[in-house]
Amino acid sequence: MQNVMDSTNLKNTVKCWVELYSDNLYSWALHKTSSKETAEDLVQETFMAAVQSFGKFEGKSNPKTWLFAILNNKINDHHRGNFRNPTINDNSFLQVFFDQHDNWKPEEAPKQWEDETGNLFDDAEFQKAFEYCLGKLPDGWFSAVQLKYLEEKNGELICQELGITPTNFWQILHRAKLQLRKCLEINWFKK
Amino acid sequence: MKKLMQILMLSCRKASELIDKKSLIKLSWKENLQLNMHTAMCDGCKAYQKQSLVLDNILHKHVQSNDESQVTQLENPDLKNKIKSKL
Repeated sequence: MQNVMDSTNLKNTVKCWVELYSDNLYSWALHKTSSKETAEDLVQETFMAAVQSFGKFEGKSNPKTWLFAILNNKINDHHRGNFRNPTINDNSFLQVFFDQHDNWKPEEAPKQWEDETGNLFDDAEFQKAFEYCLGKLPDGWFSAVQLKYLEEKNGELICQELGITPTNFWQILHRAKLQLRKCLEINWFKK
Repeated sequence: MKKLMQILMLSCRKASELIDKKSLIKLSWKENLQLNMHTAMCDGCKAYQKQSLVLDNILHKHVQSNDESQVTQLENPDLKNKIKSKL
């Protein structure tokens, strides 16, 4: 009887948390993954994990903080998993930018941006364009970017952890930056 | 001399690769020399080099912003109901 009571209690508590925090968690997950489905899956998994390890919570911390900690772990795992099988053998991608002599195609050659200070980030409109462009990156590339700039570890350490070669890693980051740069140029700098 | 130039001259594809490699891994002296020679002559890669640093800066700020309250808050009632039904 005691056990039945406990499990109903637990479920009611977690249901209450879903009501209170699922939108916050979802918004955060979407910001961090740029994918609606992934964000939804991760938030769902977070609550399932919360039910399972409820014993560890014991009301010691704020439930919202606890749920965010679980979610952040899941987001990290997601990026690591995503990144293990990136696609980079894609000469057709580079052919968009470079001609047969491997030099910039005239229309693709980078031209100076007006604002190169990096203060751009404070501009809300720019942030929108930037997030849009980030979201356009292939999953594995997006994850590589998250891992590189989130942890600020040196490249070699990240590669060791992920079991990939450094060459693989910077080749992916390079492609991600080529694409981001072009997307920003079209969606922001040309406006 | 022609052979030496061939060794030292990079294509833009290779030069832009080195530019992004540089933000992750230390380049060899040869790579540095090749890159500097190339960017001295190529406006496209010179611009790319600057923009690569701007991107580093912006990406760093974006990814490191760990302030949950700064993120656009969305509502997802379907997800809410789905999770509740699974509990």
